[in-house]
Amino acid sequence: MIRLENINKTYFGAQPLHVLKGINLNVEDGEMVSIMGASGSGKSTLLNILGILDNYDTGDYYLNDKLVKDLTENQAADMRNRMIGFIFQSFNLIPFKTAMENVALPLYYQNVNRKKRNQLAMEYLERFGLKEWADHYPNELSGGQKQRVSMARALVTQPKIILADEPTGALDSKTSAEVMQILREVNQTGITMVIVTHERGIALRTNKIIHLKDGVIENIETNNPDQLDFNQEIK
Amino acid sequence: MALRRNKLRTFLTGLAISWGIFILIVLLAAGNGLMDAVGKQFSSRSTNTYTLYGGMTSKPYKGHNSNRWIPLTDKDIRLLENNFPHVDQVSPRVNSGGNAVYGNQLSPIVLSGVRPVYAKTNDVEMTMGRFIDELDEKNNEKVLVIDENVQEQLFDPEEDPVGKLIFVNDIAYKVIGVWKGNPNSGGGECFVPFSTLKKITNKDEYSMLNFTTYDLDTKEANEAFEKYLRTQLAHLHEFDPEDNSSIYIISTMLQYLQTNKIMNTLQIFIWIIGIAMLISGIVGVSNIMRITVKERTNEIGIRKAIGAKSRSILASIVVESMIITTLFGYIGMWLGMMVADLSGDIISKAQEGNMVTINIVPSIDLGIVLMATALLIVCGVLAGFFPARNAVKIKPIEAMNYR
Repeated sequence: MIRLENINKTYFGAQPLHVLKGINLNVEDGEMVSIMGASGSGKSTLLNILGILDNYDTGDYYLNDKLVKDLTENQAADMRNRMIGFIFQSFNLIPFKTAMENVALPLYYQNVNRKKRNQLAMEYLERFGLKEWADHYPNELSGGQKQRVSMARALVTQPKIILADEPTGALDSKTSAEVMQILREVNQTGITMVIVTHERGIALRTNKIIHLKDGVIENIETNNPDQLDFNQEIK
Repeated sequence: MALRRNKLRTFLTGLAISWGIFILIVLLAAGNGLMDAVGKQFSSRSTNTYTLYGGMTSKPYKGHNSNRWIPLTDKDIRLLENNFPHVDQVSPRVNSGGNAVYGNQLSPIVLSGVRPVYAKTNDVEMTMGRFIDELDEKNNEKVLVIDENVQEQLFDPEEDPVGKLIFVNDIAYKVIGVWKGNPNSGGGECFVPFSTLKKITNKDEYSMLNFTTYDLDTKEANEAFEKYLRTQLAHLHEFDPEDNSSIYIISTMLQYLQTNKIMNTLQIFIWIIGIAMLISGIVGVSNIMRITVKERTNEIGIRKAIGAKSRSILASIVVESMIITTLFGYIGMWLGMMVADLSGDIISKAQEGNMVTINIVPSIDLGIVLMATALLIVCGVLAGFFPARNAVKIKPIEAMNYR
């Protein structure tokens, strides 16, 4: 699903910063992997490149066997819209739209008509137990609810891959466990999942843990989350 | 849309636009009203009329003392009528006071003996019947044009005064018409043919002399004519041609040209203020739009992350600013026009009974109003467009993390 070949990325500022130094990585279809690393290790940059939110300098990135390189803005937007669902630490919901409108928004950019959009958005909200909250604005929801809304928004377009950047970073441990449980269930429907985290407890709930250090992959740890007691506290 | 969740911001943007348009319209309307009022003073008169008044000499001349009264007499009429260049029709005015009596009603009046051309030169507005004509003048007819004031005092409201006989100083006159009256003199001025009144009073001294001219179209021609006229009159009455107070010469054309110059300056001034207003409105709108777009950078980032194309974000922002500017521009335009209309009505009403000759009634040039509104709308939209274009150029991840 994802194939990275010798990806390099440098931020040119007052002091050029070589963030990614030749990343080679394969993520198979339906895999659930996590990327761990200290802050500054390049994990967020890597995720942004995977999400086509940022570009890379050299190397090749294949998403679903298509080379993602030198895309026009519109092509990138289109690919994000159809292939990728995002989940962010700070949820990134639009504050003046209701839960349902937020979930329906990606479909708007697929030119799905309003009736169909709202119907699909409701279905996903219902799936995440948020049916009663459909008409509420983000600031009227709890952290866990917001993250569930953003998961619904990520899934509503039925993407091939979910990219989650510290999805539990702003949540307490109980809610974090719930969110991870949902992500796990989503993964079991066949959607590939990449989670960036710095919490060991979160990473242990994925099949593969990629350790990033100073812009290079230090090692890849295989993990069997089924052995984990899912009711145990994460943090 | 973002409009409804950012009510204050939207309202402030709108206020800037509405206010700009509103002030511009009210200002232009007031300016127009002033122009109209002054224009009206001249428009109804024939293009060029000269008026002479007798005066007092201010310097001694050829053995005459100063402070000598110079009357207008038959000599002057003969001078002007006897192939004097550029002079068309002459109408002297001879005055006589008296009481008008009809039935048992009485009204003090001033009789003015004038020729038919007087109606044109002095802007006599008839409300009933007719003015004196050439036949009346030729046959010394005892006919009378009364003003509304006298009509009110002598006649019942339902009674038609035209054709009735009234007595003035024991001489019977037939009323042939009613005119509006001179609002500046308290009323009571009635017209009879010059020849008639001259015969009755046997006066050879006239309070005023009017004449129309031809072929005097420029300022220079009028000034030259006035100078020539004064020399001729000075020769006739033996006063110093440089002595301007001996006989007063007033030209509507020269007055008109002078007023026109003042009006043009005023108009330019009003336009400068108006344009300055418009510019400050545009700057205000641009600033608010720029801030609005900046505030939405996060939202733009989120939208791009979930698959929005730059074009669609740009379109939504432009449409939004278009809606705001159009709606509030329209409100400002509407309010401005309403205030201009309303104040126009109030001023007209307030001055109806008043003896004021200048009515400043604000009026609006719809073309200019629409153009100014359209300009502000276009600028508002552009003001939204450029920052929006910059915002959508930012990488989505940077936009999302923008604080």
